Amino acid sequence: MKRRILASTSLVILALAGCADQETREQVDFSQDWSEIQAQAEDTTVNLYMWGGSESINSYFDEWVTPRVEEQYAITVNRVPVNDTQEILTQLLDEKTAGKTTGSIDVMWINGENFKNAKENELLGQAFADKLPNVQAFVDQQAPQIAQDFGIPVDNLQAPWGTAQFVMTYNEADVEAYPMTIEELGQWVQQNPGQFTYPALPDFTGSAFVRQVLEEVVGSEAFMSEEPLDQGAVDELMQPVWDYLNDLEPHLWRQGETYPESLARLDQLYANGEVVMTMAYDPIKAAAEVQNARFPETTRTFVFDRGTLSNTHYLAIPFNAPNVEGAAVVINELLSLEAQAAKLDPANWGDLPVIDFSRLSEQQQNLFTAIDLGDSSLSIEELESKRLAEIPSIYVEWIEEGWVENVAQN
Amino acid sequence: MWHRIKRYSLVLPALLLTLLLFFGGLVDGLLKSFGYFPAVGATSFTLVAYQDVITSNTFLDSLSLTVRVALLSTVSATLLGVTVALALYSVQRRVKNSWLLRMIQLPLTIPHLAAGYFFILLLSQSGLLSRMGFALGWLETPAQFPVLVNDSFGLGMILTYSWKEAPFIALLVYPVLARIGDSWYEAAKIYGASTFQYIRFVLMPAIRPAILTASLIVFIYTLSSFEVPYLLGVTYPATLPVYAYQLYTSGSFSDRSEALVIMWLLTALALLVGIIAHRFYRKAYARGWE
Repeated sequence: MKRRILASTSLVILALAGCADQETREQVDFSQDWSEIQAQAEDTTVNLYMWGGSESINSYFDEWVTPRVEEQYAITVNRVPVNDTQEILTQLLDEKTAGKTTGSIDVMWINGENFKNAKENELLGQAFADKLPNVQAFVDQQAPQIAQDFGIPVDNLQAPWGTAQFVMTYNEADVEAYPMTIEELGQWVQQNPGQFTYPALPDFTGSAFVRQVLEEVVGSEAFMSEEPLDQGAVDELMQPVWDYLNDLEPHLWRQGETYPESLARLDQLYANGEVVMTMAYDPIKAAAEVQNARFPETTRTFVFDRGTLSNTHYLAIPFNAPNVEGAAVVINELLSLEAQAAKLDPANWGDLPVIDFSRLSEQQQNLFTAIDLGDSSLSIEELESKRLAEIPSIYVEWIEEGWVENVAQN
Repeated sequence: MWHRIKRYSLVLPALLLTLLLFFGGLVDGLLKSFGYFPAVGATSFTLVAYQDVITSNTFLDSLSLTVRVALLSTVSATLLGVTVALALYSVQRRVKNSWLLRMIQLPLTIPHLAAGYFFILLLSQSGLLSRMGFALGWLETPAQFPVLVNDSFGLGMILTYSWKEAPFIALLVYPVLARIGDSWYEAAKIYGASTFQYIRFVLMPAIRPAILTASLIVFIYTLSSFEVPYLLGVTYPATLPVYAYQLYTSGSFSDRSEALVIMWLLTALALLVGIIAHRFYRKAYARGWE
């Protein structure tokens, strides 16, 4: 007890406010009929915490999801934007430290490193994903890129929501022939000094670019083995990647003296014409940016010949979610065909679905194939044929630290 | 007697909350800097994080950048602020108008985050000035515009801080000047002092304590502020607050202790400078001319 009071002053504050109930949460019984769960969720509010750095994602929620959920299930969705998903975990960790068993987050949008951290620190609630009717109907739960999140078993602690894939974005008016490989990209950058850069790690997209280099310069086989690698082995494997990036550095934007601190800044440089390429872990984002008149009309995307990284992103329910039933209903609705198709539409967001197309009827497939992805996007077939799996997230952290030491500090 | 108790008891809730949140955060941070972090199963006290931070090159690079930027920003903001205060004083001696004072206070109302972004939009290679240069035909590509933000030297940060803190210095210095009557100036004139001598031997000693106090506040602020270096700094080295933020949000909870070590070192420094500034101010006025 003494230790607990010392542990966190927030406990004292909570005790003062009289809202720390010290009982463990009751599990929600998902074996009951789904309509029962829907009935229990009526007239409740679901607090959805998610990264709020994208205009189009936010408007997909506010203009499409929220009204629909309100209308169909009488649930109010309260979207809480965060600057970095880390902040959500920080809050949950603090709540856990304080013994707060009823928190304020019902649904959070996570994957990769954040999922690993949440799982390791037991910040997630009960397993639920395989209980959702739409997951059972439309999702191939055995597919490796869905059952594992950056090499970590998902164990139904989170439900798949969308697929992301890394693409390079360029301005056709300025780039005659885009590079087909990382090696060609290196040559192109040397011939066009100051026209290319990538976001400073630990930016999510910058980090993906570095793993993309790893994929081609070294290959990811060693990282995928059952036996986890130690830090020394990873450092050794990464050396050629650091060499490649250090060779690139003097030819980058601003001679590599500094890197844009975020993808948003790189996109701004691209929109202003300071650089002629940008990148995204979202293959249809460029089309959406062209539609919003932020990117030039001549914006196109490409993937490297060997393929580009792809991963799944998920929705999870935290250990202390105040409204688990409501959270489950909202997540299930986000996995409906209509919601997934609306999400794919560049006019809304342009995020690839997690639906297994082989399970759909002709008519259901039309929901997706009828959507115009814009001139800037590659077709879903081409993207699907060029997909590479992500390496386990433990290494992602090391690579991000390694980049700061070996590239940024050089 | 109980009147007094009643009066104090009314502010007690607010005071208690402030003490809890403010000092609670400080104590929590201090505990974590010693590696005491029960949520991730660390319950022992060590100095490992302190040792790791102080001996790392990243920290030393960060420290030298942070101190350099804070010193240069303080010097330039002080020079600018005192000049503005003196100019305002000489104008106000002849004509009284309050809008001039308000104009000078304008940057005070703008948050640092907005100011930082404003300078990026103005001074980046594809910013407003660069575009004007392009429209006038002076520049052909963005890269021809000089690098004024996100530069290794920290010029962008220094410019932003100078613009933002100079009015603050002026605001602390000007009231002291305003209290000096015209009679001093007349007396100095009678003894044959030039305007420059009047400023140097009469005004400066009077406002020196205010200048020093204001500069110390600006120095400690620029040393520990986050937004401006985050927006206008370079990838490496980052200033200490930005470096601490990077560590804190790096994804592994073990780096947090190091982040809190850095924040605590800054806090201790701020306390030290605060005490010096306070003592200095008191001494100046105990002896003072008021």
